[in-house]
Amino acid sequence: MLPRRQRPPASGPWGPRPAVLLLAPLLLALQGVAAAPAGAGGPEDSPGLQDAEFPSGLLQQAARAALHFFNFRAGSPSALRVLAAVLEGRATVNPKKGCQVDLVFTTDHYNPEVGEEHLGKCSARVFFRNQKPRPAINVTCTRLIEKNKRQEEDYLLYKHMKQLKTPLDVISIPDSHGHIDPSLRPIWDLAFLGSSYVMWEKTTQFLHYYMAQISSVNQWKTSDDAIDFDYTVLLHEFSTQEIIPCRIHLVWYPGKPLKVNYHCQELQTPEEASGTEEGSAVAPTELNNF
Amino acid sequence: MTSKPANQTRSLMPSPAIKGEVQDFLVLCRRMKPLLGTLYLLGILAPEGLGYDGSLAQTRRGVLEETVSPWRNLDTYSYTKYHPMEEIYQWMVQITEKYTGVVTQHFLGMTYETRPMYYLKISQPSANYKKIIWMDCGIHAREWIAPAFCQWFVKEILQNYKDNPRIGRLLRNLDFYVLPVLNIDGYIYTWTTDRLWRKSRSSHNNGTCFGTDLNRNFNVAWCSIGASKDCHHLTFCGTGPVSEPETKAVSSFVESKKESIVCFLTMHSYGQLILTPYGYTKNKSSNHEELIQVGQKAANALKKKHGTNYRVGSSADILYTTSGSSRDWARDIGIPFSYTFELRDNGTYGFILPASQIQATCEETMEAVLSVLDDVYEKYWDSDSAVKMTLTAMVLGLLVSFMSVL
Repeated sequence: MLPRRQRPPASGPWGPRPAVLLLAPLLLALQGVAAAPAGAGGPEDSPGLQDAEFPSGLLQQAARAALHFFNFRAGSPSALRVLAAVLEGRATVNPKKGCQVDLVFTTDHYNPEVGEEHLGKCSARVFFRNQKPRPAINVTCTRLIEKNKRQEEDYLLYKHMKQLKTPLDVISIPDSHGHIDPSLRPIWDLAFLGSSYVMWEKTTQFLHYYMAQISSVNQWKTSDDAIDFDYTVLLHEFSTQEIIPCRIHLVWYPGKPLKVNYHCQELQTPEEASGTEEGSAVAPTELNNF
Repeated sequence: MTSKPANQTRSLMPSPAIKGEVQDFLVLCRRMKPLLGTLYLLGILAPEGLGYDGSLAQTRRGVLEETVSPWRNLDTYSYTKYHPMEEIYQWMVQITEKYTGVVTQHFLGMTYETRPMYYLKISQPSANYKKIIWMDCGIHAREWIAPAFCQWFVKEILQNYKDNPRIGRLLRNLDFYVLPVLNIDGYIYTWTTDRLWRKSRSSHNNGTCFGTDLNRNFNVAWCSIGASKDCHHLTFCGTGPVSEPETKAVSSFVESKKESIVCFLTMHSYGQLILTPYGYTKNKSSNHEELIQVGQKAANALKKKHGTNYRVGSSADILYTTSGSSRDWARDIGIPFSYTFELRDNGTYGFILPASQIQATCEETMEAVLSVLDDVYEKYWDSDSAVKMTLTAMVLGLLVSFMSVL
């Protein structure tokens, strides 16, 4: 996301405000490792615990996971959010079980309108199970868009999608030059919504994902009320730099929970000899209060 | 008839081995293409001068159009579009010709697929002893915004060095060496086959897997951490340190000039980061504090342009562990200011950054790079600080003599 305006003062003269990290005495007893202050230069996301197993950027990791989950659960392609900045956070580690991160972060519109100045704020509790994906997440955010407006935008998107000529004449979105035809923009947003579910499920404390490209639209059905969308997306996993193709099938109707089915190619992490990380899940969910 | 500067011909140095001669021949053919373009255009424009009449020119046009890309005027070259490699090759020739006396094109080495690697040297002739700024772009093929920035950077320097005192000052004591595309084979592959390809195109395991991550292939803590020995992986470190011809070309050259190089900048995307050494250890370089200070100043200058947030820190602290990176290698052979820039964006479009963002990205990055260069310049050549130091020394000397008299 591209902030086109001045950020609210979260930055000091030497960079982003260092995160406040507190560690429970119990934690120290469990770990047997002395807590160390944040690294030189004050990177805002370096954890207080300098431990070989503690990945750099744990707070950012947690924020991203929380946002993927939030976006999926909100089920609204016109109200997608991206991470703006992590304000504060703390991590507690249980070496046997995993690590829990409590944090506060700000968000921005995925699609900023020129001149708009909206910064939503979220607080989240994220629990990463040791090396396993699908972190448990509790997240609440302040409203970025008024509920009525959001519903209206969703419905407009839905109507626009219903009018698209099928079969869709697209090879990839965006094209190699990053261009998305404005008429196809809703497809990208809806695909991102579905991908959010997949990316949440696949995130661990070490792995995080971005949606790089829709490589094919396999099916786009709007004959019934709902949008029935079957597509292949390329996810970019940052720490391994790998590109993971995922086939995603989603069903969406404005205001209703998103239904997602997916199947991704295995991620060959360099550390594992022959690990397979496949996922396939149906996701009927209810909208929680947020 | 456009003539190539002498040193460009000299740079096609023949090697004793037959393979070298074949490579030279291929290089020569590739190099002739823009020349053919020149001849073709002149054939149309001045048929009498070259002894052709109009009708013959028409026929020639029909034939040549299939083999030679259409002539491109530097004045109409768009710096806000992504360009395929052929156009970048042409652009390098044209910019060298337009700014003769300040820019020269130099041969660096050959890629795995036997394509020539060229860098541009921007140097104002003077009696001063110059230090060198090195900038390379596109070591990872899919990071298209990086080569776009290298071209933008060259254009900005050349269009403004006469009128802009800030840039003019830099050129008084600094030479710029710019490698617009380091991983040429990979870059071409992203245009022809796979937009998200990252590595080079070297062949491994009897042609069952392709490509080395060139930024894991440098000879610094090679393959110790944050890289893979499996050729299928995108962080494959190669068959040994500096195993790849592209890495060899860059490191040989940079090594040979290391006494003069004060700044090594390697441009990547994405992530909006300014990274200092190291990636292979959490230990910090001896000048870490200074690097962070200069980096943060650059990030602030960048943000002033369009509000974009960049984070600054060592690679191991704020990104992930890596070994064999060009930035770490450059620092460890003694180049003091060594940075990796990860340009826009933050993941929204990632590698496939819309061309509509090229201008803003390049403008803000330019501010950051100029900020670094200003700091580097002031460290080594600021006459004000030199005068201050001399005066201070004099006063102290006088004080000491005065005290000894008492």
